[in-house]
Amino acid sequence: MRPMTRRAIAPLVALTLLGAACTSDDDSGGGDSAPADTEATEDTTATEDTTATEDTTATEDTVEVVQADESTLDAVQSAGEFRCGTRDDLPGFATVDETGEHVGFDSDFCRVIAAAVLGDATAVEMVDLETPDRFTALQSGEVDALVRNTTWTATRDGNEGATFLQPNYYDGQGMMVASDSGFTSIEEMDGVIICVAQGTTTEGNAAAEAARLGVTWEVRPFEDVDLLQEAFVAGQCDGWSSDTSQLVGLRSAYPDGPDALTILPEVFSKEPLAPAVADGDSEWAQAVNWAILATIAAEELGITSENIDTFADTEDINIRRFLGLTADDEAVLDPGLGLPTDFAYQVVSQVGNYGEIFEEHLAPLGLERGVNAQWTDGGLMYAPPYR
Amino acid sequence: MTATVASKVPFWRNVNVLKWIAQLVVVAIVVAIIIWLYGNYTENASRQNIPTNFDFLDNPASFQITGNPLSQNAPVRDALVEGLLNTLRVSIVGILAATVLGTIIGIGRLSTNWIVRKLATVYVEAVRNIPLALFLTASVLVVVLGVFPQITDAWDLAGLAIISNRGVAVAWYEGSGAGLLLILGVAALAWYLVARWRSHVADRTGALPRSGLWGGAAFVLVIAAGWGLFGYSSTLPSIEGRGTTGGIRVDPSFFALFLALTIYTASHIAEIVRGSIQAVPRGQGEAADAVALSGFQRMWYVILPQAMRIGIPPIGNQYLNLIKNSSLGAAIGYYDLTLVAQTTVGNGSPAVPVFFLTMTVYICISLVVSALVNIANRRMMLVER
Repeated sequence: MRPMTRRAIAPLVALTLLGAACTSDDDSGGGDSAPADTEATEDTTATEDTTATEDTTATEDTVEVVQADESTLDAVQSAGEFRCGTRDDLPGFATVDETGEHVGFDSDFCRVIAAAVLGDATAVEMVDLETPDRFTALQSGEVDALVRNTTWTATRDGNEGATFLQPNYYDGQGMMVASDSGFTSIEEMDGVIICVAQGTTTEGNAAAEAARLGVTWEVRPFEDVDLLQEAFVAGQCDGWSSDTSQLVGLRSAYPDGPDALTILPEVFSKEPLAPAVADGDSEWAQAVNWAILATIAAEELGITSENIDTFADTEDINIRRFLGLTADDEAVLDPGLGLPTDFAYQVVSQVGNYGEIFEEHLAPLGLERGVNAQWTDGGLMYAPPYR
Repeated sequence: MTATVASKVPFWRNVNVLKWIAQLVVVAIVVAIIIWLYGNYTENASRQNIPTNFDFLDNPASFQITGNPLSQNAPVRDALVEGLLNTLRVSIVGILAATVLGTIIGIGRLSTNWIVRKLATVYVEAVRNIPLALFLTASVLVVVLGVFPQITDAWDLAGLAIISNRGVAVAWYEGSGAGLLLILGVAALAWYLVARWRSHVADRTGALPRSGLWGGAAFVLVIAAGWGLFGYSSTLPSIEGRGTTGGIRVDPSFFALFLALTIYTASHIAEIVRGSIQAVPRGQGEAADAVALSGFQRMWYVILPQAMRIGIPPIGNQYLNLIKNSSLGAAIGYYDLTLVAQTTVGNGSPAVPVFFLTMTVYICISLVVSALVNIANRRMMLVER
């Protein structure tokens, strides 16, 4: 054989072997690389239409494998610590006090989840996240749950790979202006500059509202709330738009004093703020959801962190079942959520019920219960029965 | 003659074959790593039902680019294109301004005038050692928000420009942009032809060519003729309500980014220019003096052409740095490609394909700029005899 041909044989053989290894179909999971290879082949050889179907069949296979191997609930319980994605710069919802502790409405809900899953409200690691990174952190598993005044939307349920749970605060978007600007309604604001936080639903909502009202707004995004405040103080922005709860918090901490700012009366979008977990683990999602619902159910039953021990001998079956109280001839309900049977007791005694958490953090800002009241008071907080 | 015994070396000892095998093994390892990483990613993404394809490009963007008429229901693809245009705008303007400023300061560092020399040195040494992100924050907080006045007290520069912290509104033309480019092209051609004619005249009659003056005059005349013939008019800016109308409004974030990029990159270019001028053999300058060339002629005809040959590759590098640094505009709300990409990811597009696409676009821009710089470099090298 001529030398050139012989030289060409070795590489050809190597390439063939490589190709064979990569395209072989693996039906019984032989290791981590097996599903990875089949994924790669299906993705590279399929057209756009068929990719969708092939991805779903692969998803079903891999989802079963994953749920059998590593469930987030087991992982958190064995690690003994719950990582909660949150923030440190929103007065009322999540700020850091002088001792370095996270204080706020959302921070307390992080503790609620820790109390329910681990029995200890302090076994929580607060991971501060920037707004543009919060979903990536959730998707990658950097945090176990996101409790960060995040709006529940269709795209976030779908493309962002998040599963949203019981909203802990039903909010809406509002507009804040300087008190001496002379604006009394958003309809008067035409040809103005509105400043918003980057990477939130606020940007899109502001633009949509302007289009609906038929006015022109120039929407400027800011990555950093501090820079936004500087721009607002310097007069670069005519209006500051955000969730009304955020505006109330920011106004209370404004350097020139809260009276320098006015929050206009109009609320122009629905912003259900809800904790979220990553897609693909419904056991974990349900466990976290019932931890949150426990606070709402406790308020409905009239149980607070102060009076919880007075219910030890109550005759009310619903309360006994809810708190996981035992007696000689009683069986304790275990609904199979993976939570300890007294999780509701731990949640309310260590943190509090929904009303207490609201009163402690949001009422001082001037926020009223409004639509966040119990359903018996005409609000939207309605917990399913615990049985 | 000794007979050489041509015994076949077995392939496992044959150096040529071994080289091939080694290369193949390396390629196989790299390909295997890439396939494993890709497989990992698609498996993780499909577990959470996150799409791994480029379908997101057809989804509505759900945000509006500041100062851009693009609707928020336009597809993500259009938003990314606008982001790319914004990056190119600030990069091109920044490159031009930084080159001019950098060259002037670089020459100033070698001036015989003590004050000019000291000022240039202070500028370069101070600016070169400050991180650009800090510079950018200062540019926004100090210049735009601090120094520039509110719209109600805006500075009015003879009606030609209105400066406030909401932007810089400058007098602009009204008419077709493509047509203006055409007129500028024709005017540049006129300048070149007139300059060539004048140098022929100078050769023939010995009179001073003054091709700069004549060429410049031709340039201006052609532009004026084109302006009048094609019905261009100018719009002057004026304050209306809480904004300005008329003219073209330069976004304050664009202005802050442009300022920071220009000042920062100019300091680096100044050092490169200074170094390349000093690298030109001293005899060249002395010979220019001996032939009685003026200071400007010495620099323009003798020193700079030789210095540029040395300086072009590093200056090209600074251009690439400027283009990449323009992505810092994301921190101050300037909708360059990076910020548009980040916002679409925040609005639900899958992160990995978006950033993969963005990085590819940046690589393409950089490759084009490098290619242009290499062409310029090669042309300068051919000139040498």
